[in-house]
Amino acid sequence: MRHGKYPFIIGFLAVPVALYVTFVVAAYIQTFQLAFTNWSGLGAIEYIGFDNFVKLWNDDLFWRSVGHNLYLLILLPIITIAIALVFAFLLNVGGGRNRGVWGSTGYRVIFFFPQLMALAIVAVIFGRVFSTDESGMLNGLFPDSWSPWLFLADERWALTCILAVAVWQAVGFYVVLFSAGMGSIEQDIYEAAELDGANRITLFFRITIPLLWNTLQVAWVYLGIAAFDCFALINIMSVDRGGPDGATSVLAMLIYRNAFEYSQAGYASALGVALFFLTLTFAALTLRVTRRDAV
Amino acid sequence: MARHDEDVVTVGRSRAGTVTANTTGILFGLIMIFPVYWVLNTAFKPDSEVRSFTPTFFPASPTLDNFRSALGEELFLPSMLNGLLITAMAVAAALVVGFLAALAIARFQFYGRRAIILVVLGVQLVPFLALLIPLFLMLQKANLTNSLIGVSLTYLVLLLPYTVWTLRGFISGIPRELDEAAMIDGCSRPQVFWKIILPLTGPGLVATSVYGFIQAWNEFIIINTLNSPQKQNLMAWLLYNQTERGTAWGPLMAGAIITSIPVVVFFLLIQRNIATGLTAGAVKG
Repeated sequence: MRHGKYPFIIGFLAVPVALYVTFVVAAYIQTFQLAFTNWSGLGAIEYIGFDNFVKLWNDDLFWRSVGHNLYLLILLPIITIAIALVFAFLLNVGGGRNRGVWGSTGYRVIFFFPQLMALAIVAVIFGRVFSTDESGMLNGLFPDSWSPWLFLADERWALTCILAVAVWQAVGFYVVLFSAGMGSIEQDIYEAAELDGANRITLFFRITIPLLWNTLQVAWVYLGIAAFDCFALINIMSVDRGGPDGATSVLAMLIYRNAFEYSQAGYASALGVALFFLTLTFAALTLRVTRRDAV
Repeated sequence: MARHDEDVVTVGRSRAGTVTANTTGILFGLIMIFPVYWVLNTAFKPDSEVRSFTPTFFPASPTLDNFRSALGEELFLPSMLNGLLITAMAVAAALVVGFLAALAIARFQFYGRRAIILVVLGVQLVPFLALLIPLFLMLQKANLTNSLIGVSLTYLVLLLPYTVWTLRGFISGIPRELDEAAMIDGCSRPQVFWKIILPLTGPGLVATSVYGFIQAWNEFIIINTLNSPQKQNLMAWLLYNQTERGTAWGPLMAGAIITSIPVVVFFLLIQRNIATGLTAGAVKG
């Protein structure tokens, strides 16, 4: 299969490469370029050197947003994978006698439902769940004499609420993904381990996890991406979009508002550059961790 | 895999443990399903019940008014049609372009192959929002803002990395010996691609099209930035136009249900393939 492979390669890759070059590479070059201007989004473009980056360095909200990005980037994958693993395990081998718990097929459908609901709709519903007055579903559960929990309006808890919703939405997909992985583990292995006296917990840590390692790595990458996408949730759910008082602000939110609301396209581009390097770091770390997969 | 129920030794399996496992399962299932149930509950309630401060778990007098009022909104149906068109174009294009690119990466060794794989992976990680400003300028220059084509192109770029990455996994899983055997039997290379690899990649194409459909159908930030109210998809319409009139929860939830229907139908049609599709791609990825 050596002759004439280049026509195929060039033919097959021309369109995607052209798309990447225009939509991603060229777009990034322009972002880097705009980061050195004070362009408002309209009119003349003036170069101002590193001013945007100095401003960014001294911007308290920027650092807090980076912190929030990291918080989501670390906790979303860890919590989601942990919950999904436990439930996939319950569904597959958690019930008595190597079977899943009762009705495990039904669960699989139930767990997938949040995945089918648009992030936007999820955000709207949970806005209602967390609502601070008595119409809020959670506050409605408690007696009237209690002072209502503020949830999204409380600086300390707002981001945690967002994280909880993101986990809620993501977890079903990974239950299904891990279930499929677990289904391909030979039943004999479990039975042999049980004969040797292993209990559920030993089975989980000594057999299931090691045999699922590759799938776990893939899950980590996708959840990392999902963590960057939390902007959509925050955009709809949070008080004052990124509030209260910047408590749920993330980089993407700062970029969006600077670019399309505050007419600060130059500064937004500088934030875009910062986001680019944050993503790059995440990608590099991920590649290091998953390196044993043949590329 | 046959399970010998009666032969299994249940050492280390206590009854209490089984009950705990089942209880946890049920609790967790309830948490997962509750918001979905609440959407349905609200959508079928008349306005007076929705606004009542004591929430009820079932509509006392179920009604379809909310659906009627959502469907009756001026831009509802046009937005739905826009969404379907954009999604169809983006997903179809992503499948064709992505399949060919995955073929090239999975079946040929060439200079720059590794670089392309890294770029594909990298693009998947890039939050697209960082590129929204240049993207807007670019599409404006090409006269593609406020157009369905412009949005479809953007979605295509968003969907491609996952498509290429997943399909590459599937194609790598097909033994090369199969290609070689077919070529010895007189197949040309395009015939091998068309008659051997394409059919065997079927589950992968299903998995990626589901993913693509869900992503494109549910996107709202890009389309809301690029297009005027007349050219929105259903999701953007639901969020940015309906809520402007205050929180009309009933119609909003009814709209949400209608918006979810295509995704649910699509999911039900292919749900048998989805788990295999997803894992096959993931494990080989």
